[in-house]
Amino acid sequence: MRDVYIIGTGIHPWMGFSEKVFADFAAVAVDNALKDAQIEWKKIQAIMAGIFIYGGNAGHLSGQYLESIFGETGIPVVNVYNACATGSASIRMAYNSIAAGETDTALAFGADVSPKGFLTAKSDNAVQDRDVIRWKMGGLPNPIYWALECRKRMEKYGTTEEDLAMVKVLMSEYGSKNPDARFKKQYTLEEVLKSVYVCDPLRLYEICPVSTGAAAVIVTADPELISKADNPVKINATTMGSAIYGDPTIRISALSCPAVPEAPMLSESYSASRQAYEKSGIGPEDVDILELPDNSSWHYLVYLETCGFCKEGEADKMLRDGMTKIGGKLPVNPSGGFSSHGEALSAQALWQVIECANQLRGRCGARQVEGAKVAMAQTYGLMGNSGTTIMSI
Amino acid sequence: MENMANKVARIPNLVDWSTGEVRLMGAKCNSCGTYFFPKEHYQHRPDCSREGVEDVLFPKKGKLASYTIQYYPCPAPFKTENKITPYGIGLVEFENEKIQITGIITETDLKTLKIGMEMETTILEMFTNEEKQQVVTWAFKAVK
Ligand SMILES: [Zn+2]
Repeated sequence: MRDVYIIGTGIHPWMGFSEKVFADFAAVAVDNALKDAQIEWKKIQAIMAGIFIYGGNAGHLSGQYLESIFGETGIPVVNVYNACATGSASIRMAYNSIAAGETDTALAFGADVSPKGFLTAKSDNAVQDRDVIRWKMGGLPNPIYWALECRKRMEKYGTTEEDLAMVKVLMSEYGSKNPDARFKKQYTLEEVLKSVYVCDPLRLYEICPVSTGAAAVIVTADPELISKADNPVKINATTMGSAIYGDPTIRISALSCPAVPEAPMLSESYSASRQAYEKSGIGPEDVDILELPDNSSWHYLVYLETCGFCKEGEADKMLRDGMTKIGGKLPVNPSGGFSSHGEALSAQALWQVIECANQLRGRCGARQVEGAKVAMAQTYGLMGNSGTTIMSI
Repeated sequence: MENMANKVARIPNLVDWSTGEVRLMGAKCNSCGTYFFPKEHYQHRPDCSREGVEDVLFPKKGKLASYTIQYYPCPAPFKTENKITPYGIGLVEFENEKIQITGIITETDLKTLKIGMEMETTILEMFTNEEKQQVVTWAFKAVK
């Protein structure tokens, strides 16, 4: 297997609903990535595209649509969907294609346009698609799943409403320093605690909405391209995990979960992160920056445990002790996280990788983590999807 | 029990009241012992032969393992005639079946909800259809 490097990254800043089409956003991100990598379009030998599920035929073949914008060259174009871990799948395929010697330089990208309103069922077949049951019969929007787990956590480990609010305070401080974030307002603890409940115990400012955004990453093993790149970032491992039988987590779109745990919570992310640690020889103790999926304040806490940065039930203490702040032992989400961006399904995992790469390349201005050498991007996707990417400089 | 003759579940094969008691419908794998809800949500233990999956009715009663209070209306295709927000949603544990199942809680005094309390399966009337039937979903209520 060859060493693979990130030489170019690009994003379209995160925003709310737009009348523009997803390919327009994708093109901006890809253009920026090409400029950053200082290469021409013709150098791209494969496209691993995250699909845009609400985009119909165009969205499902997003790679072909993008290729036609930049000029068709006959290269392999693969379109992939793994819910919110779609970007993890695309960069993993790009990495594997290059590491195996199939191609030298590949593009991974994803773009998503926020739907007007809510994400709901995409079919009408309740036998085939249990998502139909949860929407028609269950009355279960996504944040309810997180609230049910959050309540269990509060009961079991004593997580407080202040802990949940503190996550937002930190995220909003970092988001205010990130020009590409969608939400830049800084909140105090009091303001967060005064925000309305969406689903008790989670408040409006403690869950993330859906957003529009695009992200693109160019990876290569071509020595010439690596040598001329600005601070190329080595990918030490990029993995995907699925769930393990007996995982007690109530997964989004499910109507039930095991009552007796036989596997870790969020086992898909446990699987992805442990694979990454094993493949890279890098452990949690070596990580200088962690970008984790803070879909809600509960996620921020539980992911520190799932990924092995502390034992179960200890994440609250890490937060309270300031260990997860910029300047702390393990800066978490210096980007401002999903809390400051919102979810753009097929783009968000790549955006997390890009934040890590930008930090390692020293490009993050007011939110820069000094001296970071190793960074980890961790994703979470519904129904047992997850990816981990570990990078170093 | 109230008159159930004019009621119909919005989606079939999830909730049953033919025995005179409201109970959830699922399945059990007799090879690996895992219970499924809904019954098509297969969750076999790895290497299970998957032989002997049979339909089951869950017990009427279970314990509240977690809950939340939803303050905003659930978007379509969810539909109720009457405003139900804020409403409770629970995870009710059926101990012998080693499963927790979600469901709307019909309790209106949401302050009384507490993890560990005993709950029973019931139905929630959602709306009246064109045939003048009450369209229902499954739900849970506190055992009084
Ligand atoms: Zn089985």
